[in-house]
Amino acid sequence: MYSLLGGIFLGWSLGANDASNIFGTAVSSRMIKFWTAALLASVFVILGALISGQAGIETLKSLTSFNISQAIISSIAAALTVSVMTFLGLPVSTSQAVVGAIIGIGIINGQLNIAGLGKVFICWFTTPIGGALITITLYKFLAFGYNYLKIGLFGSDQLLKTCLIISGSYGAYALGANNVANVTAVFVGAGTLSIFGAALIGGLSIAFGILTFSRPVMETIGKKLVSLDPFSALMVSMAVGITIHIYTIIGVPVSSSQAVVGSVIGIGIIKGASTVNTHTLKNILLAWFLTPVIACLIAILITFGSYLKYTGK
Amino acid sequence: MFKFFFKQENKVEELIYKYLENFQLICENFEKAVFSCIREPLCEEFNFLKEQTDKYESKADDIIDEINNLMYGKVLIPDSREDIMKLLHALDKIPGYLEIVLFMIKYQKLVIPEKFFKDIQDLIEVSLEACEALSKQIIGFIKKESGTRILMNIIDKHESHCDYIEKRLIQKTFSSNIDPFIKLQLKELIICMGDISDQADRVSKMINILSMKRRV
Repeated sequence: MYSLLGGIFLGWSLGANDASNIFGTAVSSRMIKFWTAALLASVFVILGALISGQAGIETLKSLTSFNISQAIISSIAAALTVSVMTFLGLPVSTSQAVVGAIIGIGIINGQLNIAGLGKVFICWFTTPIGGALITITLYKFLAFGYNYLKIGLFGSDQLLKTCLIISGSYGAYALGANNVANVTAVFVGAGTLSIFGAALIGGLSIAFGILTFSRPVMETIGKKLVSLDPFSALMVSMAVGITIHIYTIIGVPVSSSQAVVGSVIGIGIIKGASTVNTHTLKNILLAWFLTPVIACLIAILITFGSYLKYTGK
Repeated sequence: MFKFFFKQENKVEELIYKYLENFQLICENFEKAVFSCIREPLCEEFNFLKEQTDKYESKADDIIDEINNLMYGKVLIPDSREDIMKLLHALDKIPGYLEIVLFMIKYQKLVIPEKFFKDIQDLIEVSLEACEALSKQIIGFIKKESGTRILMNIIDKHESHCDYIEKRLIQKTFSSNIDPFIKLQLKELIICMGDISDQADRVSKMINILSMKRRV
């Protein structure tokens, strides 16, 4: 059980950080109360992990072979990377940190599933692009219907609120299904956990992170990134859910933060406005490159460190 | 749709319609009061109708306060909350102007000279027609009905007409041979009457901007 602590910590920090990508815009703009969002996100993250988390777990565990100590090292390396990047104020992707750490372990083992890694890298690159494309398509179709529907101000307000809750719950389901692999896949690879056990523990730890520490991030993320009108916020929320769900079906854990950024850029393309400031975009790109590299290096350093012996001289 | 989950929102909507009904009552009482004053200056009927107008104006304030309290309780999404409060506060200035006009007539003991009757009557009628159209435009905006732009154009025409009458009245006032002090009092009254349609026009244009803003 103690060997799982690194993974549980990672799950906790993932829940605390990434729930904001799903409900952040709605909570920070006070469209939905924090506790409504947190409870829904927690329930749906667990459901997503249990029902659809298997594919991602299979992909990550196939990237290299692990023993239990390497599984612990990779989860600690990923958790440390997430903490360091968060400390530096850079938007961090847990998926990239975990894959970076697994690559580190793979380098030590001299065994890396290049085809699997290629699939993961392609998905990383296409996540923001997919987010943007899905947002643009959704916006075009749904805006047409929304403008021509004779729903009054109060009706549209209620419709937007209801859709935000539904799409947020769907996003949380997709997040749980997609990102649970980051938390516990390495332990499945090491043979410590069954896939169901990994999905359950991973889902619970993410939910724990959402319930205990997501509030400050949720309340600020929407304001930090960009202020969106309610319809655009709904489109971003829906597009993020769909994007993550698509990658869940493909079986690759991706970054919900990058899906959000892609979606917001998509809104900017539609409206002909700059929706993400250059500084934020630079930080995202920097973190995109640094996260897997740092996680990989930390995993290698910890592994070497674990081989060091005190000789007494 | 989903009415059960949005009791507070539905209450705000009902309160807005209640406010608009009350707004109509204020306008009706105001009109009767001014016309009674024209017929018979400072009569008892005028005092009664002024009190009625004050009563409805105070009721309008109570409704606005109730809506405010609900809004601070985070009813509606922030954009809609901001739009509605902006709109109601702008609209609520009109009953204020109506009250000021009656206040001036009562406490400055203003007697409108007979030669101004027709123009004052026109100014009040056209201003109140603008207010009536504004009330319909607000309902149209809330219910997302078509025709709000047409109503905006009607209000704009009424406002221009009122401006014309207002200028003519001021000109007539100062070219008449009434007491200079009364001239100034009348000028103040006419300007205040003109403010009614000006504010109606401002609110109407605000609705148009809000409608455009809400299109996605």
